[in-house]
Amino acid sequence: MQENKLKEYDALVIGAGIAGGETALNLANVGNKVLLIDKDLTVGGKMIMLSKVFPTLDCSACITTPKVSEIARHQNITVLTSTEASDIIQKDDGTFEALITTQPRYVVVEDCTGCQLCEDACPVNVDDQYQYGLVGRKAAFIPFSIASPRAAAIDIENCTLCGACERACPTDCIDFTQTVEKYTIKCKTVVVATGFQLFDPTLIPRYGFGRFKNVITSMQMERQLAPTRPFNTVLRPSDGKMPDNIAYVLCTGSRDKTVGTPICSQVCCMYSTKQAQLLMGALPMADITLYYLHIRAFGKGFNEFYAQAQSMGVEYVKGKVAKITEKEDGNLILRYEDINTGKVTETEHDMVVLSVGILPNEGITQLFTNRKLELDPFNYVSQANPLESPAMTSIEGVFVAGVASAPMDIPDSILSGGAASSEAANYIRHIAKKTVEV
Amino acid sequence: MVKVKIMGVGNKKTVLIMKEKRQVPQAVKDNLKFFVRTKKEILKALKDKKKTVPDLSEELNMPKDKVLYFLMSLLKYGFVEVDGIDDMDEYFYYKLKDNG
Repeated sequence: MQENKLKEYDALVIGAGIAGGETALNLANVGNKVLLIDKDLTVGGKMIMLSKVFPTLDCSACITTPKVSEIARHQNITVLTSTEASDIIQKDDGTFEALITTQPRYVVVEDCTGCQLCEDACPVNVDDQYQYGLVGRKAAFIPFSIASPRAAAIDIENCTLCGACERACPTDCIDFTQTVEKYTIKCKTVVVATGFQLFDPTLIPRYGFGRFKNVITSMQMERQLAPTRPFNTVLRPSDGKMPDNIAYVLCTGSRDKTVGTPICSQVCCMYSTKQAQLLMGALPMADITLYYLHIRAFGKGFNEFYAQAQSMGVEYVKGKVAKITEKEDGNLILRYEDINTGKVTETEHDMVVLSVGILPNEGITQLFTNRKLELDPFNYVSQANPLESPAMTSIEGVFVAGVASAPMDIPDSILSGGAASSEAANYIRHIAKKTVEV
Repeated sequence: MVKVKIMGVGNKKTVLIMKEKRQVPQAVKDNLKFFVRTKKEILKALKDKKKTVPDLSEELNMPKDKVLYFLMSLLKYGFVEVDGIDDMDEYFYYKLKDNG
């Protein structure tokens, strides 16, 4: 473990998803020095993993990757992956100090060419977390083809220490002597853009996720629909059959007090509608049915997008699915109350997608030591003045961007990042002015 | 294939330093053994004839979901490729990839 140098930045942005990335870019473009950190091996957050975005069906990677490469090359932005902040202290002059901890990647990123020869040489196969466990990856691996930095990493927990990666590397960039790096930075403002986690559907055992192989999450389907998909096309995980009758169970882990998430995820109606349209393209013969409570198509172009799915033949059934059971052939029986007929009905499908909700990331409040970052009743970062200053938090000089403040879709996350950057830039100017006056 | 050595490539052995600090857990060793064995079995089964996931499952006496997982991993690593679909348009055929 190394105790390292003190560095100064104008802004510390925690989380390099689309909201944090947008905030960092805007701040950097007006001349501020930004430290952008992410706990993951790559920047881009959840958005970079998506196939397409609603309601335009634009390629998600095609929007994210130019932004990500702009972030990576920006002279005012320092990007640190595998990195977390803690022990954030606000000084009397309104500035901050934070402890930055970077976990070893065991690869010198600057020297890695992304040739993947280490991947070829590595004999290990473990679940690929970037494909949500649908396929394997090596212990020496590049997270995914459009990762940034596009550099290898060693999964030390699953590494057999055979040294094959090191022998294969043409630039000698693999370095098992790397250790945890810790150092303190000074900054004038902090932006919390810590995003969200997906609801774990094993918490609803009656849906059978984890037991029934053909019950998958919407993120697993998202990966199946992406160009960098785990399988050669959309397939059932139980046996590799091309599905032809797929059901979506909306509001899995949203608007459900029994699992502690009473609020709407804001996105599951629309991403399910998007996936249904993409599936009709990928599997032209397939029937797609969405079981829903209410369709919330509130954003610009959303209702038209919903109507488009209906006109393509996607079936929408109003009814809460109570239980899923599995047949011997892997098909699934959905038991639900059909609200339109008032009858309890059972329908068979060959694959079920659980449209999982989103949850706030935990542990954000513990990052701050001498100030209290308030949370709202649903554990998102509380907005102190949502109408006049939507990015303001309970700590002066700390701002919030994206889903860290509330469930929201991608356009709203980008808008939120814009608001946070402008409020943070004002605060930086305010601090600088105060320093000059003193 | 002739392996070209460039400027001391492959001479670095920092892994030896890690080996002094860290023991490889038994579960990791077992996982490697299992994967190497499964990989061999799947590649051997595909040597002479293209096969579907259910074909491989029956031949190797392995659950279909496991076959799919390992087969798709081998597809990703460049060992196998798709070779058409069955008459019912249900299951794809997979064959060994000709890597020259």
